[in-house]
Amino acid sequence: MNLDFQHCIRCTICVANCPVSRVNPDFPGPKQAGPDAERFRSDNKTSIDKWIRLCNQCKRCEVSCPYGVNPAQIILREQVQYGGKHFRPLASRVFANNYWLGAVNSVIAPIVNRLAPMKFIKRILNIFGISTYLPFPQFHIHTLSRSWRWKGRRESRKKVVLFYGCFLNYNRPDLGRDVRDFLASLGLRVIMPRQVCCGLPALGNGDIETARKFARKNARILAGYIDKGYDVIYTCTSCGLALTQDYPGILEVPHGRKVSENSYNLHEYVLKLMEEHYIEPVFEPFRRKVAYHIPCHLRALGIGYPAAGLFAKIPGLEIVILEDNCCGLSGSYGFKRSNEDTAVRLGITAARAVKDIDPDMLVSDCGACRMQLAHFSGIPAVDPSEILIKSLTTGFEDSRGRVKGRKL
Amino acid sequence: MSGTYDVVIIGGGMSGMMAAVALADMGRKIAVVSRGDPVCCLSTGCIDVLAAGNDPLEGIGSLPDNHPYRLVGKDTLTASLEMFRTVMSEECGAYVGDVNANRRILTPLGRHKVTCLVPATMEFADFHSDEYIHVISFNEMKDFYPNYITSRYKNSGCSIFDAGISTTMSIAERFENRQFLEAFISWLKGLDIPEGRIAIPAVLGMHFAVNVYNEISVELGRKVFEIPTLPPSMPGLRLFGGLKNALLKRGVDLYWGKEIYSVEKSGGQIEAVTLAGAGRSARVQGNAFILATGSFVSGGLHASMDAATETAFDLPVYLPGKRKSWFNDDFFAPGHAIEKSGICVDQSFRPVDSRIENLFVCGSILAFSEVMKYGCGHGMAIATGVAAANVCGELA
Repeated sequence: MNLDFQHCIRCTICVANCPVSRVNPDFPGPKQAGPDAERFRSDNKTSIDKWIRLCNQCKRCEVSCPYGVNPAQIILREQVQYGGKHFRPLASRVFANNYWLGAVNSVIAPIVNRLAPMKFIKRILNIFGISTYLPFPQFHIHTLSRSWRWKGRRESRKKVVLFYGCFLNYNRPDLGRDVRDFLASLGLRVIMPRQVCCGLPALGNGDIETARKFARKNARILAGYIDKGYDVIYTCTSCGLALTQDYPGILEVPHGRKVSENSYNLHEYVLKLMEEHYIEPVFEPFRRKVAYHIPCHLRALGIGYPAAGLFAKIPGLEIVILEDNCCGLSGSYGFKRSNEDTAVRLGITAARAVKDIDPDMLVSDCGACRMQLAHFSGIPAVDPSEILIKSLTTGFEDSRGRVKGRKL
Repeated sequence: MSGTYDVVIIGGGMSGMMAAVALADMGRKIAVVSRGDPVCCLSTGCIDVLAAGNDPLEGIGSLPDNHPYRLVGKDTLTASLEMFRTVMSEECGAYVGDVNANRRILTPLGRHKVTCLVPATMEFADFHSDEYIHVISFNEMKDFYPNYITSRYKNSGCSIFDAGISTTMSIAERFENRQFLEAFISWLKGLDIPEGRIAIPAVLGMHFAVNVYNEISVELGRKVFEIPTLPPSMPGLRLFGGLKNALLKRGVDLYWGKEIYSVEKSGGQIEAVTLAGAGRSARVQGNAFILATGSFVSGGLHASMDAATETAFDLPVYLPGKRKSWFNDDFFAPGHAIEKSGICVDQSFRPVDSRIENLFVCGSILAFSEVMKYGCGHGMAIATGVAAANVCGELA
């Protein structure tokens, strides 16, 4: 048994950082749900704390704790324990397998995209415990997994595997292809091998077995490439957190440590290339004022804010960093009816912070944050890599003569 | 993430953050490394400079010669506090008060705390005991009992507002909601409060507390003030949030939730520190380093049964004599011998007997600071942080 929770001195800094307990009094907060309750738990007893599922695993408590207690990890283990011993609602089961959900939806994308906004479909989803306050993301037939799997010269000195994650694969394959081409344009050999969901959605929905199955598969594939000298690049901050924290941690998958130590955030990697003088990019001006909403899981990665470091080099780009709010959607958390109220309240607060800046656009690394904040603020949301690609590849055309990047 | 900096600051508390602000303003490239948030939720948000006596500046003269304030000097102390006020007025609201005069603020127990600079929301917390005080509380609010105050003051009253929720954090969150604030103000107006001051526990908003406070004061046309609460304390969180924003605005890199696990040295210089964490370890390289990890509670010092160690660089720690001599028969005697322990520094804030030339030490980890005894917590942190930054900035 991990006794780190004994280091808690009840300073309540985790409670002060907890978004959920602030708006939902049913959740007692990370101190009580984590180290306090842990004293009364035992590995072989059935968990009875129903409210444990209300934690959205934003990891803010973990980042803020000065004593290394990691309340979010304690809560996550308890959530898994609870999920294993109790009936899991349909919505949880569906979202745990959102990889398969995406796979099916992308095949029938034109139908799904048209059905999802319909009122009676929404009503049916509501009955099954799925929340519909937010428009569902669009699905695409031409997913990233069905795209060209490699790019860049084979003899490049540096080789990378792109771990794109479900959101890029099913919902933003266009951006995924741009990222692939962008990395190749930096003189890298880019490969997108067969890969599955990182496992975080399953873990968050209390299904550790499914999470482990996904993780094992990914770790085996990625470790094979790492042995051949590849670095792993992830774009989704939550996928990144799973790869670096959960693979060697709670999921205990073989090669977990190797994957963890060789995975890089996209922007972190670009900065690294610059530091090593592998590339000497010239940043084209991009005259906009942007609000940069830091996703909770980027904070939890502990790699600082690499995209902000790159933004600082783009002439004319004015950024305001917002890191105090959780958007509330937290992956599939806010898509569950039971969490809708919490998600909406947090979303409104976070969106207000964005609106106060009055930016031209809002930027966030996380697809879920972007969906939620664009909905509540009405301000267009983009991924930081879209701005980066825009600034670094102005006039850069792909093989079909198309200028890269979405119009921003 | 890894990086190379002019100065790397270890410790994200008051002292480390103020050192970072000072150095960033000198145009240096700075990183701040911290194990987690400082325990700002335990802070009243007020700046105690020197609680003994009425005039902190004058009081410094009577401190022991080895107290860190003696190293800093009056001019640097005044300048550093002025710098702090400028930073705060750009962020979460101005601080009021005078370095030459202490003030007393009301606590939830109805007693007074002596402090020096206070957030604008506590400007009117120093009142004459004849004046009428009306305490506002919230239904079932945790750890706040207005009777502690009203029973001590004959000329006082109390009203309870139902916020629908009972923790300080969640009430503060609601105050940033327009409808809630308006409902609260109209409820207050409806009360027939006699002429005097109105005291409210410090839950008037998180990020926009000054706006909330101003609106209530203006609408009521009364002197309103906040009473600091038990943790989590909003004024402490606002203070920390303001400083953190100041750092982000100045382009300071924050390495948060990270602990040092190895230090690279060459000759008399620290070259880099490696930070533990999930995944790859980050290597942070610097020309100079500032140590501001705090004392025992903050984890800068670690005590075992027979020794005390410094946790980041294993610097020699001063202990006041043998363990046996620390015991005091008077339980309530102010100060404890262990408070004297810490790192001894020379005139330039370099640790004594360590033979490291590019390391500077500031904040409550300094030996002889005796923060509790002298009531000089934040003031000493700010002053030594800025003073160490001044020395360090000339070199880095």
